Amino acid sequence: MSAEPIASDVGTTRRARHLSTHYLVRSLLSLLAFNYNRRPSLRRWLRHADGWFDFAIGFCTESGSVEVGIVFDQGKVRALGCLPAQPDTVMILRDDAVVREMLRVTPNETMNMLLRNKMRMRGNLACLNLFNFFVSILLEEHHRRLGQQQRAQRETERRREAPALDEKRCAVLARRRAEHLTASRVDPGVRYLDDPYLARYSLDDFPRLRRYREAHLRDRPEICCERLQLLTQWYREHGFETDRDGKPWVPELRQAMALKHLMEHRRPIVREHSLLAGSHTTKEIGVLLYGDGQACMFWGELLSIPYRELRPYEISDQTRRILHHELLPFWIKRNFHDWVRERYDEPLCQQLENRWAVYFLWKRLSISHTILDFPKLLRLGARGIIDEIAVRLAAADESGADQRQRDTWRAMILCLEGLIAYARNCSAEAKRLAESEPDAKRRAELERMAAACQRVPEFPATTLDEAMHTVWLGWVALHMENTNTGLSFGRLDQFFQPYFEADLHKLQTAAERETYVEHAIELAGCLYGQHMDQVPLSPDIGNYLFCGTSSSEAVTLGGVKPDGTCAVNDMTYIFLKVTELFGTREPNVNARFHPGINSDTYLRRLCEVNLATTATPSMHNDVAVMDSLAAFGYPPEHLRDWSATGCVEATISGRHMGMTNCMMFNAVAALEMALNNGRHPLMRWDVGPRTGAIEQGAFATFEDFYAAFEQQLRFLVEQSVEYNNILGHAHTLLRPTPLLSSLIDGCIEHGRDATHGGARYNTSGVAVIGLADITDSLLVIEQLVYDQGQVSLAELKQAVDANFEGHARLHALARNKVRLFGSGDDAAVAMANRVAATIHDLFGARLNHRGGPYTTGFWSMSNHAAFGALTGALPSGRLAGKAFTPGLTPEPHASKNLLDNIRDVARLDHRNCDNNLAFNIKVVPRPGSDRAATVDELVAYVKSYFELGGMQIQLNAVDTATLRDAMAHPEAYRDLLVRISGYNAYFVTLYQDMQRELIERAEYNI
Amino acid sequence: MPDPGSDAPERPPLIVDIKGNALDDGPGIRAVVFFKGCPLRCAWCHNPEAQRPGVELSFDPARCVGCESCLEVCGRGALSRADPGFVDRERCDRCLACAAACPAGALETVGETRSVEQVLAAVAPYRVFFDTSGGGVTLSGGEPTLFMDYLGELLRALKAAGVHTLLQTCGLFDWKRFASAALPYLDAVYYDIKLMDDDAHRSHCGASNRVILDNFRRLQAVAEGGVLELLPRTPLVPGITDSDGNVRALAEFLRGCGVHRCRLLDYNPLWPDKAAKLGAASEAARRPELRRWLERGHVARLEAILHRAGIETGGGER
Repeated sequence: MSAEPIASDVGTTRRARHLSTHYLVRSLLSLLAFNYNRRPSLRRWLRHADGWFDFAIGFCTESGSVEVGIVFDQGKVRALGCLPAQPDTVMILRDDAVVREMLRVTPNETMNMLLRNKMRMRGNLACLNLFNFFVSILLEEHHRRLGQQQRAQRETERRREAPALDEKRCAVLARRRAEHLTASRVDPGVRYLDDPYLARYSLDDFPRLRRYREAHLRDRPEICCERLQLLTQWYREHGFETDRDGKPWVPELRQAMALKHLMEHRRPIVREHSLLAGSHTTKEIGVLLYGDGQACMFWGELLSIPYRELRPYEISDQTRRILHHELLPFWIKRNFHDWVRERYDEPLCQQLENRWAVYFLWKRLSISHTILDFPKLLRLGARGIIDEIAVRLAAADESGADQRQRDTWRAMILCLEGLIAYARNCSAEAKRLAESEPDAKRRAELERMAAACQRVPEFPATTLDEAMHTVWLGWVALHMENTNTGLSFGRLDQFFQPYFEADLHKLQTAAERETYVEHAIELAGCLYGQHMDQVPLSPDIGNYLFCGTSSSEAVTLGGVKPDGTCAVNDMTYIFLKVTELFGTREPNVNARFHPGINSDTYLRRLCEVNLATTATPSMHNDVAVMDSLAAFGYPPEHLRDWSATGCVEATISGRHMGMTNCMMFNAVAALEMALNNGRHPLMRWDVGPRTGAIEQGAFATFEDFYAAFEQQLRFLVEQSVEYNNILGHAHTLLRPTPLLSSLIDGCIEHGRDATHGGARYNTSGVAVIGLADITDSLLVIEQLVYDQGQVSLAELKQAVDANFEGHARLHALARNKVRLFGSGDDAAVAMANRVAATIHDLFGARLNHRGGPYTTGFWSMSNHAAFGALTGALPSGRLAGKAFTPGLTPEPHASKNLLDNIRDVARLDHRNCDNNLAFNIKVVPRPGSDRAATVDELVAYVKSYFELGGMQIQLNAVDTATLRDAMAHPEAYRDLLVRISGYNAYFVTLYQDMQRELIERAEYNI
Repeated sequence: MPDPGSDAPERPPLIVDIKGNALDDGPGIRAVVFFKGCPLRCAWCHNPEAQRPGVELSFDPARCVGCESCLEVCGRGALSRADPGFVDRERCDRCLACAAACPAGALETVGETRSVEQVLAAVAPYRVFFDTSGGGVTLSGGEPTLFMDYLGELLRALKAAGVHTLLQTCGLFDWKRFASAALPYLDAVYYDIKLMDDDAHRSHCGASNRVILDNFRRLQAVAEGGVLELLPRTPLVPGITDSDGNVRALAEFLRGCGVHRCRLLDYNPLWPDKAAKLGAASEAARRPELRRWLERGHVARLEAILHRAGIETGGGER
């Protein structure tokens, strides 16, 4: 399979150019060059810390009607009437119309044109973003006006949904948060809480938690470059590829030394009101930057990011200048994406990903989707782990450890020392603040923090305050090392219960104990509040791919202990209370429910919190999740200790590098390619195997067609896996992760970094998108074409190609006369299981770069909308550009009966879902129904789903009319939380397609 | 229409629909089986598709995609865009070829024969939901007791399977047959009492209420034994059943029976649209007061009448 050539390679006999477009672009580039050459205020941007920005960009159309370029060379800018001889980046635009469109839009919209495949790119992505930045400087005012116009237009559109605000609807949601059920103590692990539901407490009792919540909902995050600056400085001084002596670096050691430098020199910050010292950034809520990940992706938005419609960030002029001149230039080629492009000559697997429509690989950013061994850090302290490693090092000669192992051990020690150093700095800062603190109560708190950070995480934790600090400071350090995407806490209730009990055990009176419980709620709340002090950097394109997402950091509660007994304890309920008090999108709370072992009281509380917050926690059937992992043969005591990661995916806590979201995979693309003989329609690219042209009578039987689908699928699986494995290799060189490795079982023993497969268990998890849409489409093909002969495959394809325009009858047949997945039909469930098995088996047969197998999950984040927008009409009757269904949720029109939906999803074979699934239902309490009755009904649905074997379920307890109201009046619904697929987001921060998808979801009254 | 007193062997009923996930038709999560055919002819019937016992054709203009597949198969020229209801009910011979040809579900057959086994199989998948929620199966319609043999057989089978059973009835049935065929297998009965005045009942519902009230007294005597939940319900219909006088008479009657609980059912003005799909437009469907929802204050006043008589309202919903 050869790469798709760019226009100039085709050797086109250049057709008569659309002179106007070609020369228009050329003269605009000349104008840009002129300005930068002549105006000193602009020219200074052409310089970076080590010299001039030297790069060249070409622009052409596919036909060659436009071919122009721009060269930045030693502070001079030249426009060309042809492609540059050695372009860093070439933009290939579909046609002249797209060229003209590009001239009219803002830089972030240029990226959206890439997303929609109106143009494509070859070469270095950072250079394109740098060029966009240069354009944005020149056109800042113009772009800002354009942005304002767009915002105004969209606001008008949104207002139309519900012209007048319906205050009753806001009130319903507020009332729901104010009501509380109570319960008696039934779970054996609940030792101290008389009412485990903690009904007597509200946010009014915890002003500092209210402050966190309000700041989170109100304050705009600000770009913080502290992390990137300290690291880049260190690398500049000590070298990245080679050290100062020109010797190639051992990547683990380089990373460890740089991290230690960062941890020692970061500003220790103790936030006003907080009970936990330390912070992710120097801002109240900061945006963390990762140079080797996505930082260069937002270069083009440096100026415009405060003004963009979705997720604007603050950025100071100084930060802008530092980033442009000093930091981003260092990373232009030292990022995962470009490293692969250079080393592997932009392989096909990468070109496919660059087109956005078939798969997205998270390894472009991170390997963070995992769960660390925090219990070990709590138990031994960082010092204890250092000692353990030191023993290995001391015995290295005897054990025959090689140099790489020794270096890896040294690297781990350096990282842990960095963590200790940061804690000490935090302790000193708390002490300093305490000395000048006039308020006695606050002074005592600061002293308590100073004492805690003096002890932990260096030494074993002895109190709940210390234990929280251990996890919190460890968490911050891990984010200094690894991208803030999906790193997950694990089983917080299990971590903290022993310290909670030990503290309480020391108290004599009921009043003391009650005060302590309030303190525990506050501490847990501070962990929530503090961890929300950072957000991931999302270039605007990310707002469409992963809209409204946080860092997606999962917390796991409940389930069973490693010995199989009930794990629900006091801290489980305390964290549920905090989840209810906050009602925020993060952390992503996942509750394990073990039928037969966990109590109905606990399940009832899960449903109540879900109702109060409208969207969280997500609920897992413990038995089904463990069953889905049976094939891996994990020992039962390890399996029972699983935690949800990122969205919903199971990781064997502290022992497992599962990278459970290595990619988002659009399986519907394979169906489109099977319908088009290997061609992907949106990409206009004959990239897949030639499996047969329907127009020429291919596919005599349904099985023939299915085989073609499978063949296309195999091709895409092979490509995505190849790219993921190459990126995995890139991580071992660019960003091995010794701190993280020191906290995953196996890495110390093997003396091997987690990116190298040091963990005890190694897998890579895929999120597969479009199962319901594929299943329904195949059912339509099988039944209407092959079983009933109502229509020929060629006619059906014609209708699909025409987006069903002029094919009303066929469209109606597909939508009404075929029993779809979710309708309760056995054949539909069998088809869904067949498709899921095909996908699972294709991925499951492959190994990642760490030697572990791939797992498949059926959840979609917001990619069901993003990939849907990049997909044409489908045989199921779904029209072009519409969102797919979220996760593996059935089509809204599959059945009016919620029970059919629930049953069909529950009947899917878990073994194909070894990276879990996301099943969304939108349930709406009927007016007038009381709290207890509503919660009991939710319990009945969830329990039934679990009894039928269902694995995971997430509820959106909000009605369509409220969503419409919120779309039109975002200011009144800032905190309206919705489940997308696997994660939560604030409805009003979503882009319109995504809002519509949520509105169009089937709604069930309860 | 079979005579409720006759001993003639009955025909098996047509079933209009089996609805899963019902939360308003008894306790818990329920499946509801709608029988087709009713001995009453209430002007406001909320389920007009279940009133007549025979197969009917319905047309929903909102679902029509205009493909004209139906026009091609109609042998009697009974379908026409010029006709406001689309179907000329006089010409139509209910061959239902058009419903089979319609790709959009705009033309649909209302009512199909389902054996007891088929009904059991249709509700069986929902069993786990019944069990976790304290729900079960509700038999409704139409009037299930019109088909007493079938009803009895179905109830017996459900009971044998341990499913909670509930009957919604208009009360016009032969007590002896009911008592032997259905009653032993019922956990609950929701019993509609519409109008206390017999003349008004005859004129608005097409039959006397004498048997209905007698049957209620008998059923209440059984319910007092504690094996059966009996809930009288009165559908509020503007200008017909929602008068103070009717509700006062109802209160008196219920008190006389020793009943302390009943439910006033909210009026839903959407039934004329359902009737129109069947071409069954009536004079009542055009009356303006029947096209509006009831005011909350009015309902509260009526409830207060019952409360004063010591009768609770509400319940029966979950």
